[in-house]
Amino acid sequence: MIEVIDLCKNYGDRKAIQNLNFKISAGDVVGLLGPNGAGKSTTMKIITGFMAPTTGVAKICGFDVFENPLEVKKRIGYLPEQPPVYLDMTVQSYLEYVSDLKLVDRQFKKEYLEKSLIKTQLLSVRHRMIKNLSKGFKQRVGIAQALVSNPEVLVLDEPTVGLDPKQVAEVRELIKELRGNHTIILSTHILSEVQATCNKVIIIHEGRIVAQDDIDKIEKLNQGIMTVSIKTKIDKSLEDLLRGMSDVLDVEKVTNTYYRVKMSDRGQSLDDLAHLVINSGAGLLEMSPQNENLEDVFLKLTYGEQKGGAL
Amino acid sequence: MKLIFVILIKELKSLFLSPLFYLITFLATILMGITYSISVWNFSQTLANTMLTMMGGQTQQQNIHYVVFVPHLSLLNLIYIFVVPALSMRLISEEKKNRTFDLLLTSPVTSAQIVIGKYLSLLVVNFGLAAICLVYVFIAARMFEFNIIPTVLALIGIFLCGAAYAAMNLFASSLTESAMISFFVGIVLNIGIWIVGGLTDLMDQPILKSIFEQISLNSHLQPLIEGVVKLNGMVFFMSVVFIFCFLTERVIESVRWRA
Repeated sequence: MIEVIDLCKNYGDRKAIQNLNFKISAGDVVGLLGPNGAGKSTTMKIITGFMAPTTGVAKICGFDVFENPLEVKKRIGYLPEQPPVYLDMTVQSYLEYVSDLKLVDRQFKKEYLEKSLIKTQLLSVRHRMIKNLSKGFKQRVGIAQALVSNPEVLVLDEPTVGLDPKQVAEVRELIKELRGNHTIILSTHILSEVQATCNKVIIIHEGRIVAQDDIDKIEKLNQGIMTVSIKTKIDKSLEDLLRGMSDVLDVEKVTNTYYRVKMSDRGQSLDDLAHLVINSGAGLLEMSPQNENLEDVFLKLTYGEQKGGAL
Repeated sequence: MKLIFVILIKELKSLFLSPLFYLITFLATILMGITYSISVWNFSQTLANTMLTMMGGQTQQQNIHYVVFVPHLSLLNLIYIFVVPALSMRLISEEKKNRTFDLLLTSPVTSAQIVIGKYLSLLVVNFGLAAICLVYVFIAARMFEFNIIPTVLALIGIFLCGAAYAAMNLFASSLTESAMISFFVGIVLNIGIWIVGGLTDLMDQPILKSIFEQISLNSHLQPLIEGVVKLNGMVFFMSVVFIFCFLTERVIESVRWRA
C-alpha cells in the first residue's frame, strides 16, 4: 500500500532524512516514532505529495507520488501538525469544500460526510463556525477532513498534539476504530500513543530508520533485561554492594533507601538480589521488577545505549 | 475545470461573507454617486454656458463622454488601485499563514487550478464594481441621448486595468505570509505600473522611449478611453495577466521544492 525506497531529503547542507526504506501493507496502523526533528514530518510531507524528495521514490497504492501526484492525492487523507481549517467557514461547509476538492463522487459525498461527522463526534457542532470551536474540536475537524473522502491511506501528523487527556483518549479510540478500514501512518514522539494505537512501528532518528517491526517484536529487542526498584527500611548505602552482583548492569541511587537496579533476568536473579539486600541488614521494604518496554527500546535506539541505560 | 469552479465558489463565498467586501462596495457607491452628481451638474452648467456663447456666434463642442464619464471611470480605476490589493491580500498569504495551503497542496488540484480559481474570484468582484459604475451610465442613457459605445469601451479598458491589478496583487499575495505586506506590495505594483508609463517622456533614446511606451498602462488604455480598440493594447493587458498568473503559479509550485 505504501512503499518508500531510498528516500532522501536535504535542506541545504542539512540532511533531514537519509535512505529511508519501508513498506506498509493494507490495513496496517503504523507509528512513525522519533524525537523532535528526527524527520517524521518531512517523511509524511513527501508521502502526501506536499513536498518533493531530493532523491528516492515513494509509492502509494502503486502510484509514484511524483509521477502520478493527482492519483495519489485522491487516495490520501492528510492531517498536518496544525489542522488545515478555514476559520470563517462552518464545519459542514468546510467538509463539503474538502470533499469537492478531493473529487468525491457526488453519490457518496453525503454518506462520507455524515460518516466523518459521526466518527469524529462533530454532529452537534456541524453548523458552527470553526473559529468558535475549541482546540480539541478544531483537531477533530482536521481529522474529519482527512476522512471525508474515505481515503485508502490516512496520514496523521501528530494527531493528539495540544489536546487534553480526555481528547487524547478519544482520538486514540477513533484511530483504533479506523483500523482495518484504512491504512494509517501516524507520526508521534509519544510512545504510549504508538502502543495504544499501532500494530507496527518505525523508529526514526536523525533522518535514519533505526528499527522497524511489529510492536511486540520491537519490545522484545531488550528481552532478558529488567529494572528492579528497591526500597529499604534503614538508611544505608548499598550502591557498591549491588554493583558487585554478577547480573547487575547498572545501579541508580535515588536516595539512600531507594535504588533502581538494571539487571539481566536469569530466573534466579531476583532471589539473589533479595537475599543480598536482606543479608546487608538494610531491611527489604519493597522490591518491584519491571521488564523493559518500548520506551526503553526507543531511548536506547535514539539517545544511545549509555543514556538509555541510565534513564 | 470542476476544481477551478470549486475554488472560485469557495473564494466568492468567503468574499461575500466578509464585511470588508460590503464596506468597500458601500464606500465605492457613495464615492461614485457624489462625483457623478458633481460631474453631471458641472456638465449641465458648462452646457448652459456653451449655449449662451453659441448665441453670441462662437461654437464650442461639449462631450458628455469626456466631461462626465471619463472622470467617473477614472474614479473606478482609483478604486481598483486600492481595493484590489485589499481583496487579494488574503487569498494566498492567509492560506500559507493558517496552513490551509497544506490542504490545497495535498488535494488532487494543480497549482494552475488554484491560481485560476482565485484569480477568477477577483475578476468577479472587479466586474461587480464595474457593474455599479455602469448603472450611472445607463441612468444617463435613459435621460439624455448620446452614443454609449465609447463609454462602454472605456469601461472595458478600466476593467482590463483592474484585471491586470488583480494578477499583480495575487502574485504579491503569493510572496508572503503577511496580508499587510501583500497589501502594500500590491499597491506599490499598481502605482508602479503607472509610474513606468510616466517615464516615457524622460527617455531620450528612441528605443528606450519605445520600450517604455509599450509597457505603459496609460498608452494602452488611452485608445480605449477614446473609444478605439487596438490589438496591441489587448495583447498588453492579456500578457500582464498571463505573466503574473504564471509567476504566481511558479511561486506556489516552488513550495514543493523549497519547503
